[in-house]
Amino acid sequence: MELTDADLVARVLVDDNQHAFGELVRRHQSTVRGLLRHLTRTDVALADDLSQETFLRAYKNIRSFRGEARLSTWLYRIAYNCFREDARRRKEFVGIDEEQLQAEQDPQVSDPGLKHDLMHALSLLPLHERSAVLLCCQNGLSHDEAARVLDIPLGTVKTNVLRGRKKLKRTLAAWGPD
Amino acid sequence: MDRQLREAAPYIDDNGFTARVLQQLPAPRRPRRSLRGAILLAATLLASALAYLASDGGRFVVVAMERLSALPALWLFALAFGSGILVMTAGVIAAIAKASELKS
Repeated sequence: MELTDADLVARVLVDDNQHAFGELVRRHQSTVRGLLRHLTRTDVALADDLSQETFLRAYKNIRSFRGEARLSTWLYRIAYNCFREDARRRKEFVGIDEEQLQAEQDPQVSDPGLKHDLMHALSLLPLHERSAVLLCCQNGLSHDEAARVLDIPLGTVKTNVLRGRKKLKRTLAAWGPD
Repeated sequence: MDRQLREAAPYIDDNGFTARVLQQLPAPRRPRRSLRGAILLAATLLASALAYLASDGGRFVVVAMERLSALPALWLFALAFGSGILVMTAGVIAAIAKASELKS
């Protein structure tokens, strides 16, 4: 029988079992790295550095994981904090980048294939909308969970998801109503 | 849209990522359980030896066995049953306490 995340966390807590922590990393690395790649606008090297930092922090602070939320939600929160701190250090942390959005919405640069276009359209969203859309629509978090990850009010998350989805639909209008 | 977003998110192969993370973890805490166990065992052996010497070579054990053998069968059964229940209750309490400790 496969061990649950809670079982693995318990092993890390009780025995300081690094193999158990390795299994947790293996299970969640794809989603955490994927989230950070989107947040960093596909800067793979930076995203992977931040992902490593995320898991190291998770290991060091695993006693603060109370099990009230899903482990993935807790990891997303750490990942988002890592990203935010790094962005502040780089002084690139901007809330709304509408100008860039407009500048990059040139249909000539759109790539073939809906998936590719969708990812491209996603990367054009302002950070606060991109984060909310990624967490809620791609990673399946509830609005409430996303609000905790992003440390913003629930209403703001809902608004950001709604606006982000509208922009995505607008950008992908050429692909049809779905 | 949600479905398309989920489908568009590719699975990222590990490619040594987990190994790199594990390499950077701090050294695991040294388990002290074996030391604790050794101390408990040594204390038990010492206490047993002292009790043996202080009780005239364990004479009280022989006396207790003689008394037990003189008890009626029903009493012996009740004693065994009561002891079993006591041990089981202590085990359950310890398990619940450990579970709540792990949860917190």
